[in-house]
Amino acid sequence: MKIAAVPAPLPDPVASPPAAFDALSSAERLARPGLRGLVALQAVRTALRLGFAATAAMAAGRLVMDEAVDPWLIGAMIALLAVACFAGFAAERMQASAENAVSTRLRSLAGERLGEIPARQLQSLSTGALVVSMQRHPESIAALLIGHRAATVMMAAGPLLAAMVLSFVSWQAALLVVCLTPVMILFFALVGDAIRRRADAQERAFGQLAGQFADRIRTLPTILANHATATEQAKLGQRLEGYAGKTIGLLRIAFANAGIIDFFASLSIAILAVFLGLGHLKLATIPGFSHLELWQSLFILMIAPEYFAPFRRFSEQYHAKAEGLAAAGALDRLLDAEPVTTKILPVLDRLRLTLPTHGLVAIVGPSGSGKSTLLRRFAGLEPGAMPAPGTHSLAAEKIAWVSTDAYVPEGTLAGAISWNAGALDRNRLEDVARAIGLLDDALLPGGLDARLDKGGANLSGGQRLRIAVARAQLCGRTVLADEPTAKLDRGTAEAVRDVLLEISRARLVVVATHDRDLAAAADIMVDLTHGDTVEVAA
Amino acid sequence: MSAAFQSSSRKSWRLATGFALAALACAILLGGVSAWLLGSVAIAGLSAAAFAFNFHIPAAFIRLFAVGRTAARYGERLTGHKAALTDQVARRVELFAAMAAAPAVRRAGWQLGDDARLADYLDDVEDLDYARLRAGLPALTLACGLAILIAGSAVLAPLSLLPITLLLLAILFAVNRMAKAGAMAWEQTRSLRRGGASRLGAAMASAVPLKAEGAWSRECAEALAALSRADGTLLALRRLQAGLDMIGAAFGPVAGTSVMAAAWHAGKQGAELLPPMLLAFSWLALGEAMNGASRMLVALLRRNAARAEIGQWMKAAPAGRPGSAPDGPLPRLLRHGALQRRAPDGRAIGTPVSLLLAPGQPTVLVGASGSGKTSLLKQIAGWIGDDALAAGDRILSASERRALVALVLHDAVILEDTVRANLFAGDVPDAALWRALEAVEMDGRIREAGGLDAWITQDKFSLGEVQRINLARAWLSSRPLVLLDEPTEHLDDAQGERILGRLLARFSDRIVVVSTHRATPLHETRTIELQP
Repeated sequence: MKIAAVPAPLPDPVASPPAAFDALSSAERLARPGLRGLVALQAVRTALRLGFAATAAMAAGRLVMDEAVDPWLIGAMIALLAVACFAGFAAERMQASAENAVSTRLRSLAGERLGEIPARQLQSLSTGALVVSMQRHPESIAALLIGHRAATVMMAAGPLLAAMVLSFVSWQAALLVVCLTPVMILFFALVGDAIRRRADAQERAFGQLAGQFADRIRTLPTILANHATATEQAKLGQRLEGYAGKTIGLLRIAFANAGIIDFFASLSIAILAVFLGLGHLKLATIPGFSHLELWQSLFILMIAPEYFAPFRRFSEQYHAKAEGLAAAGALDRLLDAEPVTTKILPVLDRLRLTLPTHGLVAIVGPSGSGKSTLLRRFAGLEPGAMPAPGTHSLAAEKIAWVSTDAYVPEGTLAGAISWNAGALDRNRLEDVARAIGLLDDALLPGGLDARLDKGGANLSGGQRLRIAVARAQLCGRTVLADEPTAKLDRGTAEAVRDVLLEISRARLVVVATHDRDLAAAADIMVDLTHGDTVEVAA
Repeated sequence: MSAAFQSSSRKSWRLATGFALAALACAILLGGVSAWLLGSVAIAGLSAAAFAFNFHIPAAFIRLFAVGRTAARYGERLTGHKAALTDQVARRVELFAAMAAAPAVRRAGWQLGDDARLADYLDDVEDLDYARLRAGLPALTLACGLAILIAGSAVLAPLSLLPITLLLLAILFAVNRMAKAGAMAWEQTRSLRRGGASRLGAAMASAVPLKAEGAWSRECAEALAALSRADGTLLALRRLQAGLDMIGAAFGPVAGTSVMAAAWHAGKQGAELLPPMLLAFSWLALGEAMNGASRMLVALLRRNAARAEIGQWMKAAPAGRPGSAPDGPLPRLLRHGALQRRAPDGRAIGTPVSLLLAPGQPTVLVGASGSGKTSLLKQIAGWIGDDALAAGDRILSASERRALVALVLHDAVILEDTVRANLFAGDVPDAALWRALEAVEMDGRIREAGGLDAWITQDKFSLGEVQRINLARAWLSSRPLVLLDEPTEHLDDAQGERILGRLLARFSDRIVVVSTHRATPLHETRTIELQP
């Protein structure tokens, strides 16, 4: 039966792609509640620390000046210290929990997104990059959105609190400290600019050298096979030395950032100490710095560094920002990958086939004619019209898929064969494994209890295929097989053919294959050899 | 590794330690002396002694300590990182050489070719590199500061030593507890991460079957759940850190308070309280340095775990030097009556194979995938097992054969380097390199990419192109024994035949063994069929 070549309208290529996965904004939404709680706790801690500094200054000042110290002052001081430490403890725990919650939720969002990506596109993604990304990037993004953001907010709130508390005693001291801030920020801007300029100039050289060690470790077997170990070692040493030298040059400027904060904090203490000292000695009458009690001077001296502490904590978080942004970018790139352009095969759209309830259906044709694509359409994995309308048994969960990349869980061979195939007793497993030749495979010692490594690292494609065939035999579902006899030697190929034929007596088996023997034994053959027509032989 | 570089590392560390101690000293003195100064001037200001008070010297010292703290901290950061970077270079070069000698490299399936494992390995190396900077140096300076201030407290306010010691004991106890629990948590995190990663990798590799059977979301979710569980154990570690930090944050203030309280209790009054006040504020300044205590501990834990991990690779490294080319004429014939084939884990498989390898007549190993062709080639090359082959009237051991072999693996890779470096041909003139590239039909592609000195990476090339560059390496090699593992994989049939033909013509005077999974129409070959 030949289906005439009628020019058909081009099929709808792909449904509109799903919205872009914006890791940063999704995570921001998740982070909001945790962030609020964290900032509140950090503000409370700052306030309590300021309170402790105030009461300690009062107590010390009064003691030294031989004045009476109320016991409640000491009590308040100790209480404030205890609660401040506890608030810090709670804040750190909250930060850790919040970051963990955000990263876990983000990872499951990314997982859901992976599920929406069609199978063909999933295969084209770089597995290594995706796995590394899923491992590490959610927590970097969480650290950016919780830790770094909190530090940013506290950089505004902390100094404000400190200046407020300072102004209770001397608003002029508060003003002095506040006025140093714009000067400090100006220096930041200058240094930041210098860093950026230098980094741009050296980025290419950096990029080449930074990954050299990783690259050489990755390619070690090849280096060994080419007897190049000694030369590569010498080259590695040279390049790493160069890289280290350039990095140190850049660090000189990068550390200037933190140095500026240190400088202004120290400068403020020095200036205040001088003014306050002059005021006490009545050598100079600077308004706001004279006629003060000792406890007030000590107060000013202890609070002033607290003004600059949030800036220092922020600069320590700098790398978290860079890492988090890079992680978000990488995750977006991976999950927003361009849809793979599939070859348009109009012939498949015109195919209307009624699949029998049992029997062997073979799809044949040369490479690239669309055998695998047709098989995937049967399984509903590809966009496009279902070529076998009305066949209920091809819904997912009712299919057993057989190919060389079948999934094999870690564990024993018995576990692998019975995976997703329902509960089975050992005798049946043994019979099936023996029929397909898995029990006496020299490379799988131990029969049904043979250990399979994680990811099936110690399995070849042929062994995986046979495990999938054994599974298909046991599970009672319709079988779709993609090249079931490829990469097998004659004896094993024959065993697989026999098993498939046996299955086809009771169930539907659809194979896409090059194998002429298998095709010859089929009840229905779909021939895609000619690109514009489909021959269906009964 | 230049000796100048090594000695500069020691110098940098000494300098960094000096700067660190200076920074701490300046910080402590800045806090203490400024408080003392204020106290003194406050007391002096009440009387006529105000005019006689020498204000300027202490004020100058305060300015000195302020500037000194800034400069010393900057110097500490800079020289500390410089020293760490210098050490890093030396250590990585050594590590490269040690890994190259590790037996795992020659076995099947190089684990560090996998991105996730490589990333973990690099993290470990970095933990080792920076351990001294993150843990060693700060701990040293902290210990020095503690020693000096405890001595001062013993002199000025002995009673304060009681709460101080109690709190130190509490810290030590917390550190001990955290070290044990933390090491376990870190270990769990690593193994959960690795498990989740390999599970996700396996699911990705079987994406189509899983999606067809409707099991994808389940498997993917379970793999990601394992990774999230790893994050959970890390959370437990951070909670422990919070506890330690709490006690550490309380240390400075408590020590300062107890010094003042002890001095007051001992009956000191007024101006006599000035030295204890100096000490109390010094304790406050030292307390600031205690803030990073938990991070130091975590850096130490990670270093220990990293050391154990990397040590695993070096285990069972074969004693003795790597194989050097044996003296004497090159072998004309290699024989083994009954070479027992071995699986990667050492088990014997199949029946022993009789080998007779002669130049001019390539030997072809035919077998389906998984039948052990690569393992047999590696045995002949001396990479696995320790079989001895007879060559004329001599016996060549495995390590001797290694130096004589050009082993062309089928999963070879491109290094991030120039094309010239990737061809591993040393000082061979450019013309010879171009001839090799022409023979494997890659000359056009390489000219497009920018010529022999263009920087290339693996992702710029398709599998077939990488394979052809690999064959170009074989073309340029001069070793007498050439082993080609599936040389035409990823190449289309016609091209593969052409290139293989040219290679075999070039190697007509050498011993060649080729493995393939489909019978090739090569004439004048000796075929060995391998049954799985």
